[in-house]
Amino acid sequence: MSYPPQPPYGSPHNQPTQPGFAVPPGAVPPGYGPQQGGYPPPPPGGYPPPPQQPYVQQPPPPPQQQPYAQEQFGGPVAPLPTGHGGTGPVVWDAHSLPAGDNVNPYAFSVDLNGSYFLQKGKMVAYYGDITFKGVGAGAIDRMLGQHFNSPMHAADWVVAEGRGKLLLADRSFDLNSYDLDEGNLTVRSGNLLAFDPTLRLKQSIIPGFLTLIGTGRFVAASNGPVHFVEPPIRVDPQALVGWADCPAPCHHYDHDYMHGLIGGLRRLTGFGGASGEEHQFEFIGAGQVLLQSSEKLLAERSVGAVGAEAGVPMGGVPSQPSTAGHGGGNPNIPGLGNLGDLGRRFGL
Amino acid sequence: MGFTKINGKMVEAQVVPGQRLFSQRGAMLAYSGDVRFTPNITGGQGGVMSMIGRRVANEDTPLMTVEGQGRVMFGHGGHHVHVIDLFGDTLYVEADRLLAFEGTLRQSTMFMGSQGGVMGMVRGQVTGQGLFTTKLEGQGSVAVMAHGGVFELPIVPGQSVHVDPQAYVAHRGDVRNKLSTALGWRDMIGRGSGEAFQLELSGQGAVYVQASEEKL
Repeated sequence: MSYPPQPPYGSPHNQPTQPGFAVPPGAVPPGYGPQQGGYPPPPPGGYPPPPQQPYVQQPPPPPQQQPYAQEQFGGPVAPLPTGHGGTGPVVWDAHSLPAGDNVNPYAFSVDLNGSYFLQKGKMVAYYGDITFKGVGAGAIDRMLGQHFNSPMHAADWVVAEGRGKLLLADRSFDLNSYDLDEGNLTVRSGNLLAFDPTLRLKQSIIPGFLTLIGTGRFVAASNGPVHFVEPPIRVDPQALVGWADCPAPCHHYDHDYMHGLIGGLRRLTGFGGASGEEHQFEFIGAGQVLLQSSEKLLAERSVGAVGAEAGVPMGGVPSQPSTAGHGGGNPNIPGLGNLGDLGRRFGL
Repeated sequence: MGFTKINGKMVEAQVVPGQRLFSQRGAMLAYSGDVRFTPNITGGQGGVMSMIGRRVANEDTPLMTVEGQGRVMFGHGGHHVHVIDLFGDTLYVEADRLLAFEGTLRQSTMFMGSQGGVMGMVRGQVTGQGLFTTKLEGQGSVAVMAHGGVFELPIVPGQSVHVDPQAYVAHRGDVRNKLSTALGWRDMIGRGSGEAFQLELSGQGAVYVQASEEKL
């Protein structure tokens, strides 16, 4: 992250009273916090012996647990534990948690110093002194005016402020962070978890998508690892996570698939192949397209209403209908009501 | 040719003119080039009689034919994908686990009750496979889906492999499978170990097992 370097966080020697930790001593969770180094004193005879024998093959514990990290593992500069070494559970603490990186494929740790935007309900845990405020509350409004150019979404977002480590996760979907450098990236609204306040969030013209512009880092979820492809490519609507720099995302309908009487019947009745493969999103030009490796979608976030205004797509539609399933809003779902429309389209 | 694994849940296939692929409908994630997807009403190869066979056997997964020139990415439902290359041998797999397979493979439906008689029928019930399974033989690649990662256990003569029926994905080679039971009075009163039924596979080949007991 591009944050200015901070004094070691929570370290008892250097900074006995950190400004961010104005918490009464009793309220600090055990095992964390500046009052006493390392773990709390074990209850008399209570804990099993500390990880000496049974966890030999484990990655060494965090470097800052002075008393016994040094004697047992030979120095304060031990490598950070690996997230998924397969050798048993890894114990993380406020110091060893990665800063601005994945803890494992499903959890992301943010080294918070200042403020961060995150979608409601994506925080799973945090260390430190962090407050969460709904967007639109008080002093935040000023910052909001600069970076949150999407007032329709305000209700879905909270601002995390303070110092500490913030853990994000979303229903065990894979998380990835993306660095933008004076760039733009458009992402499905349900997939965006959090972003640096240095980025500006805007609502895409394409309904159901949000665009991030600027320099900074954001965190997005996907079902399975994200795969980057270069245009020209056609993408199944459900597999699309987002795109960067692509100038022309558009719908592509496979004419062969829906051609003539059989195709019309297919489309109308769903019998014999309303598979969804007749409709894709097409990308051309320079850029990157982000694919998720399955067709399972995250719950669509309501992207709010666009003011009813001439020339605005979906203007005045209160929210994304959940049946549409993807951003395009499938214009005709098979059903008898579409007969007239079909006839017009395919010359039935 | 064949399938290239992109990550654990996604494979890519090159499509060249004159060679076609079959894939489960709706399993295409993305493609580039000039590729056509045609719904395959007969659900695979072999014409109308095979289609009727598959319908009767409940092995009729909606398939589509993929033709043209380009590359296609497949994935479905967030399931893990495993690529199996066949070199003239036979793969037995449930039709709904088939993500995609090459058109060079011969696809047919097989009556599993012929293996093991009455016990074979019980096996079909317990595993949820039914009495029929899909058989692919020839030279080519198959991408199968599984819930959780897939691993392969070799089966050698004289050393049979026992597999939880719910974790079974597919098997290849000359393998006999039968259901072995370890039912005791505990199971009758609902205090069993939960492992009363096992698939016993013996012969020469390999069995693919998923790291989960969840059906697709």
